[in-house]
Amino acid sequence: MGRENTVEEALNLLRSRLCNPSFVFKPLSDSPDSNYSKLKFIISSSVTEACNNSILLLGPRGSGKIAVLELVLKDLLLEFPDLISVIKLSGLLHSDDNCAFKEISRQLCAEHQLLFSKMASFDDNSQFMIAMLRECGLAHKTIIFVLDEFDLFAQGKQRVLYSLLDAMQSVTSQAVVIGVSCRLDADQLLEKRVRSRFSHRKLLFLPPSKEDLQRLLEHILSLPVDSTISHDYAVEFNAKLQKILADEKFKQIIITYMDSDATVNHLLRFLFRAVSYMDLGSGFLSLENFKTALSNIQRQPKLECIKDCSILELHILVCMKRLEVKEQNSYNFNSVMKEYKSIRASFQMSEYYAWNICLRAFEHLLQRELICFTDNRGQNQSVEFRPAKLLISSHELQQGLKSYRSCPAILLKLMDREV
Amino acid sequence: MPAIMAVKPDSARSNPDSTPQKRRLRSDTTAAQDSPISTPVKWKSPRTCTTSSPKTPISRVERDCSENITKSHKSPIKKLSDSLTPKQKWNPLDSEQMKAVKEAMHVSTAPPNIVCREGEQKRVLEFCQACVEQEKAGSLYVCGCPGTGKSLSMEKVKQLLFHWASEAGHQQPNVLTINCTSLAKTSDIFGKILGESQPRKKVNGATSPLQHLQNLYSQKPQPSGTKMMLIIADELDYLITKDRAVLHDLFMLTTFPFSRCILIGIANAIDLADRFLPKLQSLNCKPMVVTFRAYSKDQILKILHERLMDLPYTVFQPQALELCARKVAAASGDMRKALCVCRSAIEMVEAELRESSRNFSSSIVEKAFLEQQRATAPDVLEKQEIDVVRLDHMVVALSKTYKSPIVDTIQSLPQHQQILLCSAVKLFRGGKKDTTVGELNKFYMEICKSALIPPVGILELSSICRVLSDQGLLKLGQSREDKSKRVTLCVDEADISFALQGIRFFRNCLQ
Repeated sequence: MGRENTVEEALNLLRSRLCNPSFVFKPLSDSPDSNYSKLKFIISSSVTEACNNSILLLGPRGSGKIAVLELVLKDLLLEFPDLISVIKLSGLLHSDDNCAFKEISRQLCAEHQLLFSKMASFDDNSQFMIAMLRECGLAHKTIIFVLDEFDLFAQGKQRVLYSLLDAMQSVTSQAVVIGVSCRLDADQLLEKRVRSRFSHRKLLFLPPSKEDLQRLLEHILSLPVDSTISHDYAVEFNAKLQKILADEKFKQIIITYMDSDATVNHLLRFLFRAVSYMDLGSGFLSLENFKTALSNIQRQPKLECIKDCSILELHILVCMKRLEVKEQNSYNFNSVMKEYKSIRASFQMSEYYAWNICLRAFEHLLQRELICFTDNRGQNQSVEFRPAKLLISSHELQQGLKSYRSCPAILLKLMDREV
Repeated sequence: MPAIMAVKPDSARSNPDSTPQKRRLRSDTTAAQDSPISTPVKWKSPRTCTTSSPKTPISRVERDCSENITKSHKSPIKKLSDSLTPKQKWNPLDSEQMKAVKEAMHVSTAPPNIVCREGEQKRVLEFCQACVEQEKAGSLYVCGCPGTGKSLSMEKVKQLLFHWASEAGHQQPNVLTINCTSLAKTSDIFGKILGESQPRKKVNGATSPLQHLQNLYSQKPQPSGTKMMLIIADELDYLITKDRAVLHDLFMLTTFPFSRCILIGIANAIDLADRFLPKLQSLNCKPMVVTFRAYSKDQILKILHERLMDLPYTVFQPQALELCARKVAAASGDMRKALCVCRSAIEMVEAELRESSRNFSSSIVEKAFLEQQRATAPDVLEKQEIDVVRLDHMVVALSKTYKSPIVDTIQSLPQHQQILLCSAVKLFRGGKKDTTVGELNKFYMEICKSALIPPVGILELSSICRVLSDQGLLKLGQSREDKSKRVTLCVDEADISFALQGIRFFRNCLQ
């Protein structure tokens, strides 16, 4: 009983770690070259030297830009407790000038315990912001503006960006503007006067290297030996984990998975699945967990549909493929039956299915959405006369036939011949 | 700079002193700068069209800044002596010195002398002086690329005008500085002008501010002598509406018989006056245009030297500064960029120092364990001393500023995304400029087959397309079905080939 509880506790710990971005990105931030230390240096030097700065964080979605920024801000708030206030805006919500200034004023009021009036006009809000910037500048307090989805702020007249960056051009204000975007050319979207006021600092968030990946996996999946989880269990778990991580097959699995998308977020999703497949009986992770997770993530639903088809349905699909190859762009059930008959005749196949059985097979395919009708109007016509088309590609059909449990050789030959 | 600043003339000089500033600005001590005297007309810049001016205007300005005349007579000599004595070495490890250097190079630090813009400032000043003397209205349009010193020069002109007015016995004009981006509605500008010219009168609700102003300027003024009003409107193109009424009315205000406005508009477009104010030409009141050309390499160098002059130590190697000036002048002539690059180079030095101190501290621990303590320690200390910003620092800073992140990103993309980009390049080589996801899929699978790599399914492929379009490498159209979404390439083919040339497979593929 105690053992089960330990295992469950370990599983919960692992899963909660995988959902916590600040835990995940800590090991990547330890080296001095990392984006974490560069960002921290820039912001802290702006705070201590009381000068304005602006920076852009670029990288694909899920590469940890906001996570690293949160880590940096958390550390800076500990280091300089009264010198920093943070204002967060999002391009999805606040790209309109009125909304943006209102939100800035609201957050400034909340930060400094002032009363915020919803009735304040655009003028009032912008004057308030400028006055606050000046006051904070005199009080040696830095305001950090975090602009998420920065490229959405660059639509329209870019007034918000201009006002913020222009306010930073004066000596009296002390502010840092951090833009976060997934578009690489985010600064090309800016108007030339806004771009001139922007300081052209960019931090690229690239996918982790192989060594970083290894360190990350170890950091996330190793159980802590000195916590509430029993010591012996944790040590054994870690030993088994090390063996898996060193295995060549495991490395191959990770490489195959990361070949399509190399961001950290993508990897975390995979790890979550693999960890959830952990066998609660034995209580340890195994290579099988990772293999199952990979095959479940890289599903191909249409292939699985084909595996469930009957032989007749496969015949119909292959006939439709042949019609498409013969450049008959629109065909209906009748033409498919003609093709089927001609194949049967030329290859002297023995099975014979009645018309209505074939029609039912056709309808099954329609229901499973492997084929569909091309016209949207006609409920008037009956099923046999409406033009239809395939919804799977020939490549997928071929793959499906190959992995079918007892596919008749004739079908494979037919597919190979045409393709 | 506050968006709206109504400066009363008597407090113009005391303003810098009244608000306690955390940094002592050099502009506090010298209210009127010695630029008209210290940089004589002899200096000719190859780019700006210096108006050949007779001696009289300069000498009049000289007389007007009489309070600072002694100081300004001294300063050329002082500057000369500075350049003769060798400067001290800069110690970048000293935080005070580092802070002073960074401050000198920051965009928001207004330099005490605004060099390289004397010609333009003189023209604007003369225009304003003529208006104030003759008590006539006039309009002026200042244009130029961003970062060429327009707003900075207008501030200077304002100060010079106040001095001259008080010296010459004219009434100092009211000043209204507006940044047109801060207006909620474009017609609010008239309300602000009215508020400035008649601060105590309540505006009648029936007439709009514009009409009020027009009435005011059509009637003979009170004998108490209303002052002239100097209106500086920054970022004028924000006032352009569809029917161009506001801009038009603003400039028309200066054409009324009893108008008291001197209007200075600042914008980026050179032909704003021609395109949007055609009617003014027929009335023969087209605004005078002063163009601020982009800085040339010599001008940038001069400005950088000017900023560094007051520091008692040499910070930059001369070749480094020259490289920076050359590069920025060739690219855009934007002064902010030049300052940004210099600051970036200083940060390179800081980073190098941190790196070497870290290595040094780890190596000295080793040394302490391995060797006996000898006199090797001071030698090691000396070896790592960096006391100037060298050329290689500047090169790295320039490449960071001007390099686009696209090549780096493409090189670090995962394999399938690179193959997809490659197949897009091959597909678009034939002259087609866009295609569907289904077509792209076919090409992609061919390339995968040739490389014996198992291709990903169509679902994964459409999510890869979406990821690439989020990053700005592809553009994805809208469609109900995934397969028929239109795809275009947003990156140059040359960039992709350059980025992928390190991998043999792609090199062969893209030949």
